[in-house]
Amino acid sequence: MHEVSLVRSLIQQVETIATDNGGSKVTEVRVLIGPLSGVEPMLVRSAFDQLAPTSQIADAKLRIDCTELEAICRDCGESFIVKSYRFQCSGCQSPSVRITSGDEFRLVSLVVEDDPKACLNKVSTK
Amino acid sequence: MNVSNSRTIAVDRDIQLDRKREAAELRNSLTARGTLVVNLVSSPGSGKTSLLEATARHWKQKWRMAVLVGDIATERDAERLEPLVPVKQLTTGGACHLEIGLVKRGLDALPREDFEFLFIENIGNLVCPASHDLAEHRRVVLISTTEGDDKPAKYPKMFRTSDAMLITKTDLLPHVPFSTDAVIADAKLVHDEITALPVCSLTGEGIDQWCRWLEQQRAAIIPSESHR
Repeated sequence: MHEVSLVRSLIQQVETIATDNGGSKVTEVRVLIGPLSGVEPMLVRSAFDQLAPTSQIADAKLRIDCTELEAICRDCGESFIVKSYRFQCSGCQSPSVRITSGDEFRLVSLVVEDDPKACLNKVSTK
Repeated sequence: MNVSNSRTIAVDRDIQLDRKREAAELRNSLTARGTLVVNLVSSPGSGKTSLLEATARHWKQKWRMAVLVGDIATERDAERLEPLVPVKQLTTGGACHLEIGLVKRGLDALPREDFEFLFIENIGNLVCPASHDLAEHRRVVLISTTEGDDKPAKYPKMFRTSDAMLITKTDLLPHVPFSTDAVIADAKLVHDEITALPVCSLTGEGIDQWCRWLEQQRAAIIPSESHR
């Protein structure tokens, strides 16, 4: 399954962002997954559970938000939710539609904790 | 006392952004070199290698063509194509799809020549390869007459991201409950602009139209100074 390869890349990106932003411990990773992303949320979670413990973000919890598959009709302009992967306008039945959401696999945000010992040291030197 | 500062870092980034950029850069450089890249995808056994053999035989010396073949194991497909065209086998050792890094290594290993057509024969899999840009200009999905004409809606991302659908092994139509009209209708419900082409690599039926479609795609994408 290719979720393992993609989650490995996700973890590397999170590690880099956390380091670049001075964070010492990542406690949460939030991702957005759409129905046409090509990744299965359950498999993303199990890949994360498999890979995170041996990474630099071993304490991070994964939060997965899901989007709907939405499209806009190129003919009548109607926005609608795509049902059963039938790409057909719910208004005029035109098959000429553009996807507006639902193919994402995005890193939304991370929550980092700064080093508590560094904070304590600052307080005690005042 | 434990004092910790928790803060949220907003990112909002496509997790595959770097790979997509890498693929886009490679695609641009291949366009500049006059090479049309075609990613062939399908289930195992739909006839990708046979199609490439038939394409090479049809064109003979008309166009310079090269192939990168992806497989989990063995070099059997490359061995079949070797007498006909420059080919490199990309062996993933277990990964169910090709990625851009492996394609780049394969390209470097091909003879240094500006091919008019580069075909990437993907791993036989209608699921994972749909999400991986291999720097192709065109993605072509194969579905054979023995697979069932209700497949397109079962693999929406693959059919949605493919520019053409080749219906292969048409010589078996009299013997299977497969409707060409039904599979085309199903594919168009997922992707209305997909081009459908029936072919038979064994008999040569439809190969001429397939090759003409490829030539039209190249003419539309490659700058005219690269045309013969």
